[in-house]
Amino acid sequence: MKMLSKLPLYLLTLLTLGFASCESNDPSKENDGEVITDVTLKFQELNPSNAPVGSVLSFKASDPQGIEVGKTPTVQSISLTKGKKYQMTIELTNSIENEDITKEILAEAAAHQFFFLGPVFDSNIFSIQYADAGGIALGLKNTVTVSSSPGTNNSSMRVVLRHELNKSFAGASNPNFSNFVQAGGESDLDITFPVILN
Amino acid sequence: MLQKGVLFIVCLAWACASLQAQQCTLTLRGKILHLENNEPIEAAYVWLMEPNKGVPSDANGNFIIKDLCPGTITLQIRFIGHKEIKRSITLNASTTNQTFLMEEEAVDLAGVEIHGHQEVAQTTTSVSSLYGEALLQSRGESLGESLKRVAGVTTFSTGNTISKPVIHGLHSNRILILNNGIRLEGQQWGAEHAPEIDPFLADELTVIKGAETVRFGPEAMGGVILVNPPALPTSKKKITEINLIGNSNGESGNLSLAHAGGSGKFSGLGYRIQGATKRAGNLRTPDYIQDNTGMQEMSLTSTLGYSSKKLGAEVYYSYFSTTLGILRDSHTGNLSDLQQIIKNGRPFSEGEFSYTIENPKQEVTHHLTKVKAHYHLHPSWKLNVQYGFQSNRRKEFDRRRGNLNARPSLDLELFTNTAELSLDHQLNSQWTGSAGISLIQQANSNVPGTGVTPLIPNYDMVNAGVYLMEKYMKGPLEVEAGLRYDLRSISAARYLNNQLEESNLEFQNGAAFLGAMYQVSPSLSLSSNLGTAWRPPNVNELFSQGLHHGAAAVELGDKNLIAENSLKWVNSLELDGRKGNLELTGYVNRIQNYIYLNPTGQTFVSLRGTFNVYEYLQANALFYGIDLSGSYGFGQQWEGYFKASLIRAKNSETQAYFPFIPSDRMDVGLSYSFGKQEEGKGKNRITLSSLGVARQSREPEFDLAPAPPAYTLVNLGYSRKVEIGKNQFTAGLLVTNLLDTEFKEYMNRFRYFTADMGRNLQLKFNYQF
Repeated sequence: MKMLSKLPLYLLTLLTLGFASCESNDPSKENDGEVITDVTLKFQELNPSNAPVGSVLSFKASDPQGIEVGKTPTVQSISLTKGKKYQMTIELTNSIENEDITKEILAEAAAHQFFFLGPVFDSNIFSIQYADAGGIALGLKNTVTVSSSPGTNNSSMRVVLRHELNKSFAGASNPNFSNFVQAGGESDLDITFPVILN
Repeated sequence: MLQKGVLFIVCLAWACASLQAQQCTLTLRGKILHLENNEPIEAAYVWLMEPNKGVPSDANGNFIIKDLCPGTITLQIRFIGHKEIKRSITLNASTTNQTFLMEEEAVDLAGVEIHGHQEVAQTTTSVSSLYGEALLQSRGESLGESLKRVAGVTTFSTGNTISKPVIHGLHSNRILILNNGIRLEGQQWGAEHAPEIDPFLADELTVIKGAETVRFGPEAMGGVILVNPPALPTSKKKITEINLIGNSNGESGNLSLAHAGGSGKFSGLGYRIQGATKRAGNLRTPDYIQDNTGMQEMSLTSTLGYSSKKLGAEVYYSYFSTTLGILRDSHTGNLSDLQQIIKNGRPFSEGEFSYTIENPKQEVTHHLTKVKAHYHLHPSWKLNVQYGFQSNRRKEFDRRRGNLNARPSLDLELFTNTAELSLDHQLNSQWTGSAGISLIQQANSNVPGTGVTPLIPNYDMVNAGVYLMEKYMKGPLEVEAGLRYDLRSISAARYLNNQLEESNLEFQNGAAFLGAMYQVSPSLSLSSNLGTAWRPPNVNELFSQGLHHGAAAVELGDKNLIAENSLKWVNSLELDGRKGNLELTGYVNRIQNYIYLNPTGQTFVSLRGTFNVYEYLQANALFYGIDLSGSYGFGQQWEGYFKASLIRAKNSETQAYFPFIPSDRMDVGLSYSFGKQEEGKGKNRITLSSLGVARQSREPEFDLAPAPPAYTLVNLGYSRKVEIGKNQFTAGLLVTNLLDTEFKEYMNRFRYFTADMGRNLQLKFNYQF
């Protein structure tokens, strides 16, 4: 009973302890590790025997803040020559974390795939094949052939990166597979590049 | 002559007075005790049939009914979980004093029965409880799913594993959940954040449908859910209960064990320990398996209590942890992904059955500790102290690249302290009331290392409230009123674009209620309750700024939001006859500055694609509706029940409808009982029921997909109860969605992506010894 009479005292102690030990931490800066801030498409011209000729043309889409409200990404126009063949490589970086995302995608090739869509393919201006090492369908490295008589000088190309898709889904091996959503997964990138033909 | 006249009048007056005295000055006193342990029963209801008078018993089990006329009267005493006492008493002496012993009853309630009773929460507003047989039927379900059995309660769900209770159209931070008397403080703001509680801990789930801010603090705007464990034994006895449940859909198993005992050495000392575990795999719709929809859950509660004549004390601990898989294809990368899957109407990926839970998933752990004591300062004054500490950890994992998959994209740690001091009084059995102070202190931190800009800031919150309420009871009438005043301060801090942003906000508000209940006859009661409530804007509503991962939505909070204020009027009629019962509740809830997430119609473009932009806005809202439920017994063996609820909710400024308001629904059932309940022999019951849900025709102007069509589900159940000695064994087989109907529920956020659950066969065993 003596113990019980001190109960309010114990309760009070517990209460004070509880209330004092409970404060939120100071916030810390969190860098977005997931975001892709820069997407660079590099075009290297190939001669008929598939040897590189000339210098590399580079076109970039960037959004330095990552996914941030109020900012829109800047997307450069792709400028290529009619009737030529190019090797197109894609480089991805996260400039916030200074991370090379290309490596990560390559390491997880089984869970990623690029699809190339838009008027530039619908009107047969470009034709594209995956040219990744080991013959896998990934799309970090491709060959693009530009039509010699495209009928227009302006078009656009949509580049989609899918994550966690079923790569063996019927039709998914085609880089122009427009029903890519049916293969499951989600989009990590979805960018439309203007295309100018000279 | 005059003198004679005066004398005559005086005589007449005296005669009248004495006549009256002879007739109606008798007093009936009594004491109500538990048969088992002679402990007094508080709040049992004593009713005298002839003069239509009634009183509840006080804390010592005593009651007094005055001004009775001589003669034979019928007395009725009711207390939940106990056999009703009905007795004829001949009043002749000037005072009759009797003791009544109430016997505990193995609660044997017919079918899905909902019973309102005032004892659990002393309130005049509409109260519905789930206990006994009805609770037994709901075992194995989440809190939200269980409470769907109460008319007027639906769920707001995300898939089939995450469901939040909705009372009269309000949910999340607009309702309160109490775990054994402590406000459950988790991250309830999120639509996909289920309450961190396992209903297995309770022997009674109670829904209060009125605005109960005065009693329970801010946010109790739509109603309150009380999850109460059973009372501890106070004398030497041991009770053990085992529940074992298996489901075909999801191939899940659920086990719960509870053991309670009282000490023989120390009278008044009792304990209870209860634990449950659950594991489920991917769920199946009639046509396909939903990938990554499994779940795991563990819960534990333990209580130690002491009660004596003057002092009562209790220590309580509750643990809850869960891992929930989120339907794989519901996690979309951008708006075009989202639109494609909505167009498809079902997930693109074909799931396989598995227990494995992959990203996206949620991992939640909740600890709750409570210390409570009361002390009877005086027979009519009682002092209560209660302190609670809660810790909540929520981790949400998205589908990411490489090592990031092992890191949560949302990692929140929330600590909450609650303390309450109150003084209850009960004066001359007519006036009862309570006054108190309550404190809430809360600290929320984002655990660093997620690699994602946090959705909500770190914050500290302090809320202090004082309240006062009083109830007057006379005969069949009860009137109550209360007042409360709260002060809340929030200080939040976070980094946004590498800039430290700090905000200090203060909110204060008063709340009041007035209610009355009138027992017209032992079988009919009417009640009316008018209450105000308020809710300060939540941290997510104030500060959200960015992409809601997986939902393809950008959500913008507003720091200038002000508190919501509501005025809710609830009226109910309860008819409790011998053959059946009927409960009708009608309500109107006017909410000023109702906060809602509004689509701006704009989109936001990023390298990842396009997103819809939503913003938090405020408008005046009007909610109203009715709940109707009842049952009727046709003879000894057949019994029918029904329940229905209608809700209307509108933005009273623009006349637009709000999203995610439950559509009209009705549940009807018929049961047939056979076999005798004797030792060794079973009592059987077959129940056939049907749930009809209308299409929500009152849709908001903007929705990602139109409301799904109306649907009807058929359920069939069989249960068998066997008494083995003093022990009770119940087995049940329940088939839900018997016809394997494909349907989508408007209140399920995943209706955009998938059909709801197909047929499920559930096998259930309960043994009490």
